[in-house]
Amino acid sequence: MNNNLIVSAAPHLKAKNMTVKSVMWQVVLALVPAMLAAIFFFGLRSLVLTCYAVVAAVLTEYLIQKLRGVPVTITDGSAVVTGILLAFNLNVASPGWLPVIGSVFAIAIGKQVFGGLGHNIFNPALLGRAFLLASWPSLVTANWTKTQPAFSLMFKSMNSLNLSSLQNVPEAITSATPLAAVKSVRVLAETNPDLAQQVMDRMTSMDTISQLFIGNIGGVIGEVSALALLIGAAYMAFRYIISWRIPMSYILTVFVLTFAFGGLGGLFSASIMLPFYHIFSGGLILGAFFMATDMVTSPVTKKGMLVFGIGAGLLTAVIRLWGGYPEGVSYSILLMNCCVPLIDRWTAPKPFGEVRK
Amino acid sequence: MNLWKEFSKGFVKENPVFIMALGLCPTLAVTSSVTNAIGMGLAATFVLTCSNVIISLIKDLIPSKIRIPCFIVVIASFVTIVDLVMNAYTPEVHKSLGLFIPLIVVNCIILGRAEAFASKNKVLPSILDGLGMGLGFTLALVVIGSIREVLGAGQWLGMNVMPLAYIKSPMLVAILAPGAFIIMGLLMGLINIVNKGK
Amino acid sequence: MNYFVKLGLVLLLITAIASGILAFVNGLTSEKIKANKLVAEQEARKEVLSEASRFEKQTVTLPAVETEPNPLKNKVEAGPRQFIYYLGYNDESAIVGYTFVASQYGYSSEVKTMVGVNLDMSIARIKVIEQSETPGLGANAATADFQGRFVDMNQEQLQVDKDGGAIKSLTGATITSRAVTNSIAEGMKILADAMTEEGK
Repeated sequence: MNNNLIVSAAPHLKAKNMTVKSVMWQVVLALVPAMLAAIFFFGLRSLVLTCYAVVAAVLTEYLIQKLRGVPVTITDGSAVVTGILLAFNLNVASPGWLPVIGSVFAIAIGKQVFGGLGHNIFNPALLGRAFLLASWPSLVTANWTKTQPAFSLMFKSMNSLNLSSLQNVPEAITSATPLAAVKSVRVLAETNPDLAQQVMDRMTSMDTISQLFIGNIGGVIGEVSALALLIGAAYMAFRYIISWRIPMSYILTVFVLTFAFGGLGGLFSASIMLPFYHIFSGGLILGAFFMATDMVTSPVTKKGMLVFGIGAGLLTAVIRLWGGYPEGVSYSILLMNCCVPLIDRWTAPKPFGEVRK
Repeated sequence: MNLWKEFSKGFVKENPVFIMALGLCPTLAVTSSVTNAIGMGLAATFVLTCSNVIISLIKDLIPSKIRIPCFIVVIASFVTIVDLVMNAYTPEVHKSLGLFIPLIVVNCIILGRAEAFASKNKVLPSILDGLGMGLGFTLALVVIGSIREVLGAGQWLGMNVMPLAYIKSPMLVAILAPGAFIIMGLLMGLINIVNKGK
Repeated sequence: MNYFVKLGLVLLLITAIASGILAFVNGLTSEKIKANKLVAEQEARKEVLSEASRFEKQTVTLPAVETEPNPLKNKVEAGPRQFIYYLGYNDESAIVGYTFVASQYGYSSEVKTMVGVNLDMSIARIKVIEQSETPGLGANAATADFQGRFVDMNQEQLQVDKDGGAIKSLTGATITSRAVTNSIAEGMKILADAMTEEGK
């Protein structure tokens, strides 16, 4: 009887083992498949960069917590997750100091300045990436590495996706990332619609989509393989670490919008495969399952989670289709992060029995 | 002794930017280089001192009901004079400060000092207050500007101060708008820590 | 009532004095400001066409072009447009080239470029004179390195490499590069047309 009526502040944890520590280390575990995929496609360098980021994040957390005179909580794994996610947002050709500086910023300015874990407004890893993108745009957005499967004998049939294999395609389409290709095709469509449509057909072919799904395409470390990310996401969903609401509403919104507006010939002219192209390329899967679901910076109410996911999806699709940047996942999540307090307020459930005013 | 206090309070104790958080718009906008910071700071100091003098002179003539429009007219006149003179004799500085000079009119520090100090004090303390506050403002701008220029461009006053490798790919965010907010926030926090420690 | 009249009068007096002082200062400085502007323009022209010592303004009236109104980027241009260029003369009063200002909206601002053209319609030098593009990316258009890529280019080569031309675009700033290049190409075309017309 006594135990059933404990009044305490949120969050109300159901499972006994749901501590910050266990959740964070399970997230790390869920990221392992993606890490393995990155090592496979990009080589050991991706692991090295990730280690730099993690070590820098943990050290920064330790030093700042010492300075602030608060308990040191580096073993709870939250800094480790931030470090991994930050490194996953960089491309494998980055110099080694880039993840280090990004991690220091993510932890120091993105998290500790606000008062540490649970008080930060923004997802620290994404803030770190935004900082790096603003500071060294050419290092973050250029020099994409083509994938090189480490065991090429085993996967001889897997050639790196190359859109320029089409004849007569101007250099504009040889972009190294699939989303930059989307941008280029849309530019090309203004001058040469036939050719653009041809390229678009190639992009939405089953072959391309399956390559994207497995991960044989240039991009940042963590987004390379949708399959590996989904394995990790499935594990987290299975352990009730994430709820389906944010990722599903996020991805579905992107699906609907890219299908409706992504085609070159106006509304609903896109092939039904184009949304899949959008979902499996870029950081959408990584962002939707691992970053938008960050417990600290996403809404707590069920309705709020849907609002959050739809808003992020809307922003992502708008940035991808019409914005100046090829990829909008990180900015869309950061922008929605600012709205979380508002969303939580608007969607707070009405206490049972209260009369509508 | 008292006069010295009026002069020096603007530097640290009542620094318009770091303590009173006034005039943040120019602070954030023009501190992308030290040259701009000095130019803006000195122009604002000039306007502030002159407007303080005039306002403390005519404070008894102005009915209190219309004091604010009168202050604004005085300040705007001095700003226009600064604008014209700079345009004529220092066209380079004028080019880079461009938009921000007219903004001195709405710089809260100037109206704030007119209202809070010059309209209640004699000429000499008003001059010192204006100079002190203006120099305090300049000091704040130069500090922020130095950090931003060194980090964001690897230079200080246009001279290379960082290794060439750094200058080639500096931390650009520092000279962009977000860098201004972050650096100012950190400096304010630092000054709060120092003040608390006293 | 009297009180309010007095308020008005005081305000009038103060504004009158202020305007008097401003008129005086304006009278002192306006000549100097005008002269500064002329000198600055002259210097910029000289910089892109170093052989010339004297410039003569020319105006070409262009037929009105119906551009698709794009509220985000262009002001809709109505009526005949004017294209202004300068003939550059050397000390012996022989024409050595032309200069004009090319302008187009880049990534986040209007990018204005001073262009110097040799007699054979190749570019002598260019100088980006006005832009507020992203620092570190588009703003690099104002570097000597980028501007140097235009030297000796002729009208056919004036396209960024991504569009099949000979101008190597800036890393991560294709839009700015394209704006600079295309605006110059457009100006060169008008200039070339004007020259052939005169040659007739």
